Amino acid sequence: MKPKEILEAALRGEATPRPAWVPFVGVHGGKLIGCGASEYLQSAEKLIAGQSKAIELYRPDGIPVVFDLQLEAEVLGCTLHWAEAVPPSVTSHPLLTQDLAALPRLDETKGRYPLVTRALDELVAAHGDEVAFYGLVCGPFTLALHLLGHDIFLEMFDNPERIQDILAFAAETACAAAKIFSDHGAKVIAVVDPMTSQISPEHFTEFVTPAVNRVFDYIRNDLKRFSSIFVCGDANRNLDLLVGTHADNVSVDEQIPIPRLRELAEAQGKSFGGNIRLTSVLLLGDERDAKLEALGLLEQGGARGFILAPGCDLPYDTPPANLQAVAEMVHDEYAREVARTTLKAREADEFADITVPDYDAAQAVVLDVITLDSSSCAPCQYMMEAVEKAAAAAAPLHVWVNEHKIKVREGIGMMTKLGVKNLPTICIDGDVKFASLTPDHKTLVQAIRDRAREKGLL
Amino acid sequence: MARNEALFEAICKGKRNDVTALVQGEIDAGTDIIALMNSSMIPAMRDMGERFSRNEVYVPEMLIAARAMQAGLNLIEPILADKGHKAKAKVCIGTVKGDLHDIGKNLVAIMLKGAGFDVIDCGVDCDTAKFEQAVQDGAQAVLCSALLTTTMPYMKEVVAKLKDSSAKIIIGGAPVTRQYAEEIGADGYGADAFEGVTEVERLLGLTAA
Repeated sequence: MKPKEILEAALRGEATPRPAWVPFVGVHGGKLIGCGASEYLQSAEKLIAGQSKAIELYRPDGIPVVFDLQLEAEVLGCTLHWAEAVPPSVTSHPLLTQDLAALPRLDETKGRYPLVTRALDELVAAHGDEVAFYGLVCGPFTLALHLLGHDIFLEMFDNPERIQDILAFAAETACAAAKIFSDHGAKVIAVVDPMTSQISPEHFTEFVTPAVNRVFDYIRNDLKRFSSIFVCGDANRNLDLLVGTHADNVSVDEQIPIPRLRELAEAQGKSFGGNIRLTSVLLLGDERDAKLEALGLLEQGGARGFILAPGCDLPYDTPPANLQAVAEMVHDEYAREVARTTLKAREADEFADITVPDYDAAQAVVLDVITLDSSSCAPCQYMMEAVEKAAAAAAPLHVWVNEHKIKVREGIGMMTKLGVKNLPTICIDGDVKFASLTPDHKTLVQAIRDRAREKGLL
Repeated sequence: MARNEALFEAICKGKRNDVTALVQGEIDAGTDIIALMNSSMIPAMRDMGERFSRNEVYVPEMLIAARAMQAGLNLIEPILADKGHKAKAKVCIGTVKGDLHDIGKNLVAIMLKGAGFDVIDCGVDCDTAKFEQAVQDGAQAVLCSALLTTTMPYMKEVVAKLKDSSAKIIIGGAPVTRQYAEEIGADGYGADAFEGVTEVERLLGLTAA
């Protein structure tokens, strides 16, 4: 099977002979050819060179032509502020001063679409036989926020009819953008709507679901392309609603546990994907971290309908070696086996020299926190901060806090001895109490006090 | 003073017309306005802040509650001014140079106002001069916000520039961590809007209402 056929099979929810892999290369493509984000996103030649370089290095099944959620907003009259390592930001909102009817309609002659379509034409001609190109369109809610600014949040309560009108317009714009990408050879249209992570399930159902379904129906029925809904950021609260949209695939960021997404997606026969951690693994980690992460996700995602991808747009400075390490895990079954065996060898170590303390004898409550490394892993760091804060709040009770980083053997030993399965995890006096999720302050302090009471310290 | 439950609920639910009517009713009845704020209005915003921290309410619900709170404050502020009542403290807030993302900054500003602070909103893309000016204008705490990892390092420059002033510097925003705050020598850190306010209160030695 050609790489793009593997991706298409995954998008149909079918089993694939090897994992499907879509690195979301946006401004990072500029880094690969030595130019800043602003120049990169405004030049067809740079986009062609950078995305081609990414295809050569990362061996993807699918890749976006460009990752910039401000393309549509720019055509519709939003002013952009350009930066060197990230996509541009919107700085003015036309609907604050104009009526919806006065906004221009999107077509491929406007804004940066001429250069984007030229880049897509050339990339498809050069690589389209092997690789599927993604057209990324700005989701209706995020586009509505670009157009109206933060007023949208208040208007959802004050003037819901107006917001429905704006979202209908944003959905039509997304359809127009999808058609442009499709006409120039994109095989998959991903609707990227990060701002939906900021609203409640009720608002999602009321405003977002009808708008995105209009776009997905158009992509399926009129354009005959695959579709994906993609939310960067914490979409946990709206995850079932995202999976319930008419998209063929749901792609998520690192906050979402893949087993949970898999369960929801499989129940509806849908494809799903994600969610390699961008900062702690890809940007700040090394090749080993990237391989371990990829292996873990591939196991969680399974062999049917899963697409391995970063959680969101790759950071500009991501070390290419880390993404190449992921590509190796995707393409090379032997390399996967070697990596797995290395892990097993680690598990075979009985850590006889590492002993857990005699918790019952301690005149304190002992909190063991098992982390990847709190200095480079955000969830680990938040958990450590929460633990330290709770330990301080439990005073005058004595609370000892120990961080065990699994980057070193002692940490793996403690993880094994304490029976910890997820990272990060808090153990209280040797018992696993909070795995993966950091408890709120009150809950954690209460758990410490409960244990202190049990051992007669309170 | 016992909590005015109807007023508390009206703020939490963002019902600004109800808030206006209820506050006006209390004013007309000669109620102690400061006691009303401390018993019913500030606790309502604090409750919303805590629920936001727990992911029980979202940005829209916070913003609409804040607007309802403001509707009440609009009636109360002239009365307080007449009585010579002073704000808890004066603080300033802005996103740092290069960063134009202000939802978080606006939420913290709203929470600060709701907690009784006089807030100078420096806006977005603030250089050190803007923060310095605010300190000269009386800000006792400077709150810096950043959404991007690329703009976050500018906070270090703000800290360096203001290190000899008496103002406390508190930083926050999605990529910002307590460890980073310590690393660059900031006085404080807020993980979210609610924590931002309690951190200011702690650093300025103010007891939370």
